[in-house]
Amino acid sequence: MENIIEVRNLVKKFGDLTAVNIDSLKIRRGELFGLLGPNGSGKTTTVKLLTGQIRPTKGDAKVLGISILKDPIKIRELVGIIPEQENPPSFLTAEEYLYFVAKIRKLDNIRKKCEEWFKFLEFEDQRDVLCKDLSRGTRQKLMFAQAFIHEPTLAFIDEPLINLDPIIQRKVKDYLMEFVKKGGTIFFSTHVLEIAEEICTTIGIIDKGKIIYKGPIKELKKRRQHLEQFFIKLVKES
Amino acid sequence: MFEIFWNMMKEEWRIHSSIFGNFMFALFPIVLLFFSFAGSLVIPIFIEILPLKQVILIAHYSFVLLGLSVGSFGLLGREAMNRRFGHASLIAYSSRNLPISDKRILLNFYVKDIVYYFLLWILPFVFGFAIASQIISVDISYALLFLITLTLSFLIGLSISFFLSTVYVHSLKLLIAIILSLITLNTFFTIYLKIDILALLPPLVFFYNRSVFQVFLSLLIIFVLSGLSILFMKVEYTEKKRRFKDRLEDLSNRFKFSNYSVFIAKDFLDLDRSEGGVGKIIFSFLFPIAIIWVMLYFFLKFVPVNYLIIFSILLGVISSSVYNWLTEFDLFTSYSFLPVKVSTVMKSKIHSYAMINLVSIFILFLLAIWRNELNYFAPALLTLISISFYTLSITIYLTGLYPNVLLYNAKIFLIYVISISPILLVMIFLSMLDPSILFISLTLLLPSFHILRKSYEKWEEWEQPSF
Repeated sequence: MENIIEVRNLVKKFGDLTAVNIDSLKIRRGELFGLLGPNGSGKTTTVKLLTGQIRPTKGDAKVLGISILKDPIKIRELVGIIPEQENPPSFLTAEEYLYFVAKIRKLDNIRKKCEEWFKFLEFEDQRDVLCKDLSRGTRQKLMFAQAFIHEPTLAFIDEPLINLDPIIQRKVKDYLMEFVKKGGTIFFSTHVLEIAEEICTTIGIIDKGKIIYKGPIKELKKRRQHLEQFFIKLVKES
Repeated sequence: MFEIFWNMMKEEWRIHSSIFGNFMFALFPIVLLFFSFAGSLVIPIFIEILPLKQVILIAHYSFVLLGLSVGSFGLLGREAMNRRFGHASLIAYSSRNLPISDKRILLNFYVKDIVYYFLLWILPFVFGFAIASQIISVDISYALLFLITLTLSFLIGLSISFFLSTVYVHSLKLLIAIILSLITLNTFFTIYLKIDILALLPPLVFFYNRSVFQVFLSLLIIFVLSGLSILFMKVEYTEKKRRFKDRLEDLSNRFKFSNYSVFIAKDFLDLDRSEGGVGKIIFSFLFPIAIIWVMLYFFLKFVPVNYLIIFSILLGVISSSVYNWLTEFDLFTSYSFLPVKVSTVMKSKIHSYAMINLVSIFILFLLAIWRNELNYFAPALLTLISISFYTLSITIYLTGLYPNVLLYNAKIFLIYVISISPILLVMIFLSMLDPSILFISLTLLLPSFHILRKSYEKWEEWEQPSF
């Protein structure tokens, strides 16, 4: 299967601190890849690098065959992104914000698409509320909708489930699993191991900016190894 | 009590210095000191054109103006901090989760602002003058006198602004009524009683007659206005959900002539729905314009220049502050995960800027009619547009999407002043020769466009900060 994401010697430094230092990482089409790691391990920086939001200090990566150095805007045009902190502009309502994103993405049938997402994530009654006044959970729903409204084939999602209630969490998890079944690819950054264990097809563990493990989740299950124990052992050893 | 104050001071310092470093922020008062020193050196030349009395009057009202702008920033500008740091992260918001009353917090905050701006602005200004006074042979005691009177002027401006913004929070109608009454009173004193009301500013009177009563009067004004403001201050942490009818599509369709219609529509909604709304426009745009209008009225009695033209030059500079509001509501982090370039956001802001600045053109037009100087309207208009775009291009080149933060960087502020002031001086000089020459100001548009192009390249290359 074709590689959707290919990373080669990707380094990001902030002053003296090396936040990310990945020698190699390949994600294939149809994978639901979970990037796991402790706080401050480099998960969010990796997502930002791969989506061209920040520039690498060294190295390059290709996302959907496009270099993150050469055309980051094209990458953001094609993929969907849910950032770690949900920060839609303060003074637009939820409905206006979805319209705003859809306009930037030059979509057709905007109203119909917005309607479908409000219905699916069950927040129609919040559509006229200012983004800044939305609860964190509703803001997360809104960010989920904006990331998938243009039907991308690849999505980067950073802790997208943390504030959602169990009913919507279930819906979102099912949506993501269905999405990869249909040929989509998900790059999922989280430190909630239970969710990763439940929905991911492949996992990568990152610590101090380095990928210290990558493999299919099936392998762990075969070895009857619990992800939590495996994760703690690996991070401690690293 | 003192602990809250001291921690607020540390907090204020760290907010600024964390953005551009301790050293660069510490340089800001030194740059001011230098400007004050250089400005004071030319006083002997200046008083050849303008009576010394007018120079002193302008110095005092400049500090009233500074106080007015700081006071409104202190109350309305909180919103910007709010978005950057969140409700709970500043001490100013700690009454929510600590056993401290809002009023106590506010009092500390107010005193902190006074001390902070005294150290940052007033002291360097007076120091600069004190050093220069030794060269231009002015008695050093005047520096001490200035320290007292300029501080009082600043505090009067600050307390007026604080009071008016408190009134505004309660009722816009009451604010308008107070402002209209003040204008009427001023007109009555000036036109009917022939009393020069500007000369009655207590610190200014004290400067001449050293009467302790004037200091007492100044302090009375400051304490009464500040006391009333703190007493009636309305502190609201809005937990309610504000709902609005969807207007983005409608507005965006109205701006279809621009490629950035949806961004412009968003800018207009931001301005309309953000706290302060109309008040923000009154305090940071119309208020300074009104004061400059009045000051020019007195200043130009003695200088042979055209009122409309000079006003258009200053209006051009002030109108560039519109860009500061437009960027205040928008952090690039809201766009960084979308297919949007930094330059796209900048260009959209320029379009919004041009549209909002139609207000400046309207003000200039009204003034031309009022002064019966319509024959100078064309050169004044071109001057306004050219200066406004030139100042905007310099602001964008130096600060990108962050003028509200980066203009406090001493180095950037210095370059900003150096890039703009010579152009203003040349314009003023040309207007003294013949106002019609100012058609030439159109040539400023060429470098402005060039600077803007360079700005897009420069800021596209930068990793966007999150402040």
